[in-house]
Amino acid sequence: MAKLLYEWDYSEYPGAKKYPHLFKPIQIGNLMVPNRIKYAATEENLNGRDGLITDAGVAYMRERAKGVVGGLCFMQGVYMDEKRQGQGYVGQAAAWDDKFISGLKRIADAIHDQKAVAGFQLMDCGRVGAVDIEEGHGPSTVPQRLRVFKPMKEMTNAEVKVMIQQHIDAAKRGIAAGFDVMEISGIVGYLISNFISSYTNRRTDEYGGDIRGRMQSVVEIIQGVKEALPPDMPLGIRLCSEELLDDVRGNTPEESMESYKIAEEAGVDYISCTLGWQESIYPVISRDIPMGNWIYLAKRAKEHVNVPIQMAYRLFRPGLPNEKIGAGELDIWEICRSMIADPLMPKKVLEGREEEIRHCVACNLCLARLFRDAPMTCYINPMCAHESNPEFMDPPPAKEEKEIMIVGAGPAGLECAYMAARRGHDVHIYDKRNEIGGTLNEARNAPYGDDELWTCVEYQKVMCEKAGVNFHLGTEVTEELIEDEMPDSVVLATGPAYPKIEGPGGERDNVVNILDVMSGKAQVGEKVVVWGNRKPGIGVALHLAKQGKKVTIVGKDKSAGFDVNPSFKWRYMIYLRQNGVMAYNDANIEEVNDEGVIIRSYDGYHWPIKCDTVVVSEREPNESLKKYVQSEGIELFVVGDALVPRNLSSAVHDGYRIGMRI
Amino acid sequence: MPVDAEKEITKLWRNLHNAQAEVGKTYYRWRQAALEIAGPGAKPLEIGLKAAEIFGKDIGKSFLPRLNWLKGEEGFMMSLGRAFAGSWVADGAIATVEKGETPSEVIIKCTRDPWPSWAKEYGVPMEEVALCRERLFQSILEDVSVFFSISLKIEMLKAIPRGHGETVFKLYKAE
Ligand SMILES: Cc1cc2nc3c(=O)[nH]c(=O)nc-3n(C[C@H](O)[C@H](O)[C@H](O)COP(=O)(O)OP(=O)(O)OC[C@H]3O[C@@H](n4cnc5c(N)ncnc54)[C@H](O)[C@@H]3O)c2cc1C
Ligand SMILES: Cc1cc2nc3c(=O)[nH]c(=O)nc-3n(C[C@H](O)[C@H](O)[C@H](O)COP(=O)(O)O)c2cc1C
Repeated sequence: MAKLLYEWDYSEYPGAKKYPHLFKPIQIGNLMVPNRIKYAATEENLNGRDGLITDAGVAYMRERAKGVVGGLCFMQGVYMDEKRQGQGYVGQAAAWDDKFISGLKRIADAIHDQKAVAGFQLMDCGRVGAVDIEEGHGPSTVPQRLRVFKPMKEMTNAEVKVMIQQHIDAAKRGIAAGFDVMEISGIVGYLISNFISSYTNRRTDEYGGDIRGRMQSVVEIIQGVKEALPPDMPLGIRLCSEELLDDVRGNTPEESMESYKIAEEAGVDYISCTLGWQESIYPVISRDIPMGNWIYLAKRAKEHVNVPIQMAYRLFRPGLPNEKIGAGELDIWEICRSMIADPLMPKKVLEGREEEIRHCVACNLCLARLFRDAPMTCYINPMCAHESNPEFMDPPPAKEEKEIMIVGAGPAGLECAYMAARRGHDVHIYDKRNEIGGTLNEARNAPYGDDELWTCVEYQKVMCEKAGVNFHLGTEVTEELIEDEMPDSVVLATGPAYPKIEGPGGERDNVVNILDVMSGKAQVGEKVVVWGNRKPGIGVALHLAKQGKKVTIVGKDKSAGFDVNPSFKWRYMIYLRQNGVMAYNDANIEEVNDEGVIIRSYDGYHWPIKCDTVVVSEREPNESLKKYVQSEGIELFVVGDALVPRNLSSAVHDGYRIGMRI
Repeated sequence: MPVDAEKEITKLWRNLHNAQAEVGKTYYRWRQAALEIAGPGAKPLEIGLKAAEIFGKDIGKSFLPRLNWLKGEEGFMMSLGRAFAGSWVADGAIATVEKGETPSEVIIKCTRDPWPSWAKEYGVPMEEVALCRERLFQSILEDVSVFFSISLKIEMLKAIPRGHGETVFKLYKAE
């Protein structure tokens, strides 16, 4: 009889009826897991630089454990060597000594408090490691493709054996801390995958050679760890099903599938199907990759092995995993970023509250933060990494009820509105448009997945309705209206102002606004100059280039997409190139004339660009109504792009924070 | 033959920027070579300062034919200041010269400097960049001072790491 840790009965929940395959049990090794949901291991840089667990880390995990409603909940991968060559993130948890056990136990306990299954992960970051020291370790000394990563030194045969033992010792600490499932992380270019790949393993000893040789250290780890585990504690491994490293002669898909078979033979109880390395030149998880793009790999894996197959990778909605589990093409739905964005995502699915999910927009800010040695943050979830702060998670009711006028029903205004209303205020939100969502109505029309940004508005709308926010759409707020209403507080969430091009010709008819272009209201010629090189400028440029127009971007920032986080920005750079969009950065438009525009580079050179239309995407803070509200002595807040033009994330975070304290 | 002005200018502009970037990269590659030859005890800052001295002495020589005391004190100081700023601009900086409080003083301001970004790429500390710039300018001045028999001084008033903001030098005739 397989061991069952906690009884869960989902039969009465609407989500279990709608997605029956997600909420049926599965046996993994000798452990029975009540459902098919797994929060996949996620670094969050919330631990101490010494690898010790912090309150913030425990609170972060507790929220995710609530979310999996009895399923698998994995803590981040731990590094296992005292020299810290395996440490890839400054706040990565460690398990190289018994002194770490008590902290790790706090995480296991927090997961168990929620009646979920606690997963422990062993993760030597290999090629992406040595974050705090000068040299990393790997199977062979292969130069780094990206300068940010430390040089690698080939491990001696004896060092490989030590590394294997470190995995076994760390696993024992995970057992002592009370975890229920053990996992080896062999993903995205970390040490295990370095050993498996023909790209990074050029060894001639028993740990190199063909795929069997390259798997030898993994086999020894699997066997050694397995031996240390109690019989009802399953062991899994995350393995690349496609490295996406053909350009550097990485493994073939056949070799990857061979590695799955070898891992199964060695004794793993499940395999988590992953793909891509951080060095791959193909994108895997950014918004431009459609949801469900990779799920066929799970099916392929199941054709090669018999152990259960788990998979994440842009499976942001329950429908597809439910269908695939039903069809026998997947066994467990892994979730990472969707539960960074909304820790309770699967719980809401179960309870039939899908419209209350704050969906991940696949921007990869979470990853970008880790690589900059900063604590995790989420673009659209202002509570992320604040889980240990009750004021943030559940802001207390307002001391005094106020009548609040919010001007602008874009993401900043909406976020502020529901939060303020939830705290007991009488909130009225106005927009001169007839619909909510502000600039996102236009932004969602940009290509490469930007329609997903709109999910934020859908969530906010439901939250506002639940909190009793009063909507006044199609109503422009003027000084007179403020005078008539005399609210206690005004929140200006009016979005940005769009400046005029200074210099001759700036007022010509062929100079049009970005929003009119994105909504199809403005006439646009065949040769277009977009003024402004931040994300809105890139969005409109790609939108027009996709219509076959010749587009040039001219912008003041040193590089295009300065406001897009680096983990996503490289995608846009490729798309600009692919669509023939030229970007002149660090430059400005000096004149608009019959032929086009004259631009000036930062170092003083002028040159003409032929065009028939100029699109203004540059933005500046919106000063309208500010002085009036102040002069009337009304409490004033300014949020989102009205304060400083930025992005959806700042709009949401500003709105939430003001809503919390107003 | 029709000439596409945008294309031609862009090509030149891009080539110019690539060449400027090579200046910085070449410098830091040589720095690395010097460090490796000097061995484990070598102090990078000392090597950097020595290089600045050697570079400065050579650049100073190229200043001499361009300077003319007959322009009067203010004119002389301004053209000397412009020569300093010009050497910086050639590397890709934006540097300007302003009159100082007296005719014997000028202020050189740099609002954009590519050197810190290059240095960052090679893991060189920002203090080293600032101190080497100061030593470079000081050693440029040595021959100029001797040649015109005037005691000239240059001082860094403000240095901005990472090349943003403003780096400010005061060039003046000492009493
Ligand atoms: C083409 C394009 C692509 C973009 N791509 C991205 C992206 O990929 N990622 C990202 O994060 N951001 C992107 N953005 C930017 C993002 O849309 C904005 O940063 C965000 O919408 C700002 O939210 P906000 O609530 O501050 O203002 P807005 O969304 O601009 O909303 C302001 C609202 O205030 C209303 N309003 C103004 N004055 C009044 C008044 N007096 N009375 C009543 N109502 C008034 C307006 O009608 C508007 O609905 C893009 C923008 C564009 C145009
Ligand atoms: C911020 C972040 C941290 C991650 N940390 C880990 C980790 O510690 N161990 C691991 O095996 N995978 C890690 N991953 C990979 C995820 O578990 C997951 O496989 C990947 O994000 C794809 O799933 P998703 O599309 O649901 O986000 C991390 C991913 C992200 C975005």
